[in-house]
Amino acid sequence: MIQLDQVSKLYGTVIGANDLTIRLEPGAYGIVGPNGSGKTTLINLLTGQLKPTLGRVSVLNHDPWRNRKILRRIGLCPATDVLYPNVSAHEWVTYQARLHDLSRTESRQAASESLELVGMTDHMHRPMGEYSLGMRQRTKIAQALAHQPELLILDEPYNGLDPVGRHQMTQLLIRLSEQGTSLLFASHVLHEIEEITSSFLLIHGGRLLASGTAQEIEQIIADTPQEVVLIGIDVPKLIPHLADQAWVDSIQLLAERTQLRIGLRDPGTLYHCIADWISKEGLQIDEFQTADSNLTAIFESLLRHHRGESK
Amino acid sequence: MNPKLVLDVVRFELRRSLSIGRITIWTILVLFPVALVATVRLFGENREDNPETWGLILYFLIPEVVCLLGLLLWATPAVSTEVEGQTWIYLAMRRSGRNLVLVGKYATAVLWSCSAAWAAATGCTLLLGSTGGFKLWLVICVLSFLSCLAHAALYLIIGTIFFRRTMVTAVFYTLTVEYGLAFVPAMANRLTVNYRLRGLLAEWMDWETARTVTENLGGQESAWLHIIVLLTISAGLVMASVLRLTWTELPTQQEG
Repeated sequence: MIQLDQVSKLYGTVIGANDLTIRLEPGAYGIVGPNGSGKTTLINLLTGQLKPTLGRVSVLNHDPWRNRKILRRIGLCPATDVLYPNVSAHEWVTYQARLHDLSRTESRQAASESLELVGMTDHMHRPMGEYSLGMRQRTKIAQALAHQPELLILDEPYNGLDPVGRHQMTQLLIRLSEQGTSLLFASHVLHEIEEITSSFLLIHGGRLLASGTAQEIEQIIADTPQEVVLIGIDVPKLIPHLADQAWVDSIQLLAERTQLRIGLRDPGTLYHCIADWISKEGLQIDEFQTADSNLTAIFESLLRHHRGESK
Repeated sequence: MNPKLVLDVVRFELRRSLSIGRITIWTILVLFPVALVATVRLFGENREDNPETWGLILYFLIPEVVCLLGLLLWATPAVSTEVEGQTWIYLAMRRSGRNLVLVGKYATAVLWSCSAAWAAATGCTLLLGSTGGFKLWLVICVLSFLSCLAHAALYLIIGTIFFRRTMVTAVFYTLTVEYGLAFVPAMANRLTVNYRLRGLLAEWMDWETARTVTENLGGQESAWLHIIVLLTISAGLVMASVLRLTWTELPTQQEG
């Protein structure tokens, strides 16, 4: 379905995509990365909005930059908001479908159906200027679905949706995926993607740091040098235990001896040992911060893996 | 390119523009020359009914000022408004979205500006009564149409090349080329739209004072030649804009 061979994209001297090689079969995939990581550059390369500086991009067996006809088979819901204040959702989605060369009748019907799919039937004839952010988000998704694409690309599709809206959106995406529509969706929130697919592409600094299922990525993280932070008044008492371990690279005592930052190569062993030490000596440890607790830390760990610093 | 689709783009653009702001601007464009002509006619010291003087005033006010102002508002920002409003990506994701939207916006700009120019020409001619007559009205209307076709194409290519600071570039072009170069007695001014329009006014109304100095020095050209050059400029520039936009990487949104 998607093939990128050593694709790089430069904006002047700034690199947006760095030597990306990806092969994806039809299915659902999540692109995860912090803001500015290159997710949108990747999407723009896949939709033919950007020409790769180096390498080759193929989507549904076509080069999207050279062959724009392929766009008829792709639906994109961009991250940017859309606002034509005095135009209704139905008019706009009809217009968008019409630009794919659907007949006027087909376009109107396609717009009604896709707006119904996203739960906008009751509001679709109201001007978009009166819509909430969530309603505009649904309308954006409707325009991506109206022409029944084989591949649906969504950039931060949950932006602006309330919890009910998020749930409905998740159900819709699961249903589309089950019906055979391939999904590729970008988010900086891991759990949003996990509800729909277990296949991820992790991107940072324009590079593909890891790809695979959640378990595979967890394994990579577990095998990658990382930092953990322990917080509590008894953290100095752990230093003698840690100093003896071959898998510990560094120990730092911070914040008036209440924080212990440990650099280590085998987090799994630490997790095993630490509970023992704490319970045997009755230590007061209030907090244990690991790389899993935030996406940036995960990416830092994966970056180290990418550089070949894993064990 | 499917003409029905272009028509739908025009329809959508006009529907989008049904705002108080745009309708007010259209009304001002229509009323501005009418009010000016009415004021001069009622209170001006030199009120003799010289058709040539009034014709030149109408030419300057309508195919030049009204058309250019209308087109600056519509044709120049055809691409930049979509880029700045971050809506470009939605159009660019359609199979022929880039080309269709550009040609549709060009047609809308011509239609919108032309309608204002024709309404203004009608108002002014009615005020002038028998001084100008039907012939002057018709000539001003045709010149307005040709002015809109050519200037819209010029502004369109400016808009596709300079999609940032588009308006500044278009105003700079208008002042330096159309109102600067067009009055320089050199062969270069034959490339301007203004030279062709004034040549047509002179030919059709048989007013020698309307001709540019260059035409008087370098030899007169026929009305057909002026029309062919104007249509060629318009078609050539629209095609160049379409090609330019097809292979341009425009910013779609903030990088994520």
